[in-house]
Amino acid sequence: MENAVEITNLTKSYGKNRGVIDVSLKVKTGDIFGFIGPNGAGKSTTIRSMLGFLKYDEGSIKILGMDSVKDHEKILKEVGYMPSEAWFYDSMKVSEVIKYAADVRGLDCSAEAEKLCKKLKLDTSKKIKQLSLGNRKKVSIVCAMQHRPKLFIFDEPTSGLDPLIQKNFFELINEYVSEGATCILSTHVLSEVNRYCKNAAIMREGRLTMLESADIDEDKFLKFYEDEEEQ
Amino acid sequence: MKTIFLKELKLNLKQFIIWTVTVGLMGFACILLFRSMEGEMKDMADAFSNMGAFSEAFGMATLSVATIEGFFATEVGTLHGIGGGMFAAILAIGIIAKEEERHSGEFLLSLPVSRTKVVAAKGLCVLALLVLFAAVCTGIYLAGFAILGEEVSYKEFFIYMGSGLLMNIEIASICFLISSLTGRVNIGAGLGLTLVLYTYDIIGRVVPDLKDYIFVGPYSYANASEIFSGNEANIKGFILAVIIMASCICGAFFCYQRRDLAS
Repeated sequence: MENAVEITNLTKSYGKNRGVIDVSLKVKTGDIFGFIGPNGAGKSTTIRSMLGFLKYDEGSIKILGMDSVKDHEKILKEVGYMPSEAWFYDSMKVSEVIKYAADVRGLDCSAEAEKLCKKLKLDTSKKIKQLSLGNRKKVSIVCAMQHRPKLFIFDEPTSGLDPLIQKNFFELINEYVSEGATCILSTHVLSEVNRYCKNAAIMREGRLTMLESADIDEDKFLKFYEDEEEQ
Repeated sequence: MKTIFLKELKLNLKQFIIWTVTVGLMGFACILLFRSMEGEMKDMADAFSNMGAFSEAFGMATLSVATIEGFFATEVGTLHGIGGGMFAAILAIGIIAKEEERHSGEFLLSLPVSRTKVVAAKGLCVLALLVLFAAVCTGIYLAGFAILGEEVSYKEFFIYMGSGLLMNIEIASICFLISSLTGRVNIGAGLGLTLVLYTYDIIGRVVPDLKDYIFVGPYSYANASEIFSGNEANIKGFILAVIIMASCICGAFFCYQRRDLAS
């Protein structure tokens, strides 16, 4: 399969408010794809449409060769998603949440989960309500990775993580991608795009533009944001 | 789906225990109080049965509060009816909406499970807890009768507890639909709905012009006094309850399937 993700003319609005307009995007299999843009530009709307959280108005989305609406459940078996805000059930322990995610998938991911928890230095005996944002993000990473999906979708994954864990996180992504997985990385961190992404696109005011290269200098990167403010 | 169902049971266990113990033990205490109040009740029974519309509204025109059945129907029946209705409302009104309010919806729906299965698992959890609530309360009340050494008409008792369960499921199904429509846990709306339905039933029994419309509310067919008096079953009420339940449950599936999930 050449493309892990194919979005064609995606349009989504929230009543009178703009969401995304006529977005088309292809992400090649094996790519680490950077998805950048100012807050409210439409990155999360695009991701949430891909995952079926939002019902889009027009267009089509194919993920791993499957239709995002018709094959929704099948797609989610092969996807690992980490939302920008990692929330779970407060009264559950970390180990219970991780096992719960694996159980819903009908898989025994205990070995992979243990490996990930060790790499991310995650204490699984604590309750979710005792965790900081960074530690909740680690739980989210484990839940997204433990079943070794074919496609990762990360929405601002590193905010709240310390530098060592950030490094370990990207090592894990590189490991999975080297084994054939694809990764979409929505981020505001330029260094992550430059260092890890092979391709990138920017969203502004609901519209998407592919970038010629993921290697962007800081001035150009900031200009994406400044242009938004000037308009 | 089984995993989600079991997780929901676990997450709602505390709430279930609190409500079951509270309603069940209050009913149990009421039953045990019968013996000590029996003498006073005999004096009060005549007065209570001559209060016109109010006597009818609370079933005291046909049942004597000086008997265990009359006492159970008027005292425990009211407590179990309101308590059970409130539990059903609180349980159902939060079960879907809490995912969005507490931001766990993205985690849940990013797992390979359809929204239909999520709603089904949550609906089954509500049903299971309501059945358990009715079963435990039934056991507690029977234990109360046994301790007192009093015999009640078991046929009417079980019809009442079964009707109460149906009434709880009807209230829960309305709240379940509300829960699927909103991203906020609106406990106030659930409790308000229960109290409005209960008040509607009382007013309907007091005001003669409203008597023909009592069947609209779920408390009409789960009235302990009517059941213990041996009145005819409220068939119209039962039929309407089934229609309301089916509509609300189907509506919940339909609405949750089609709406955008708040982040």
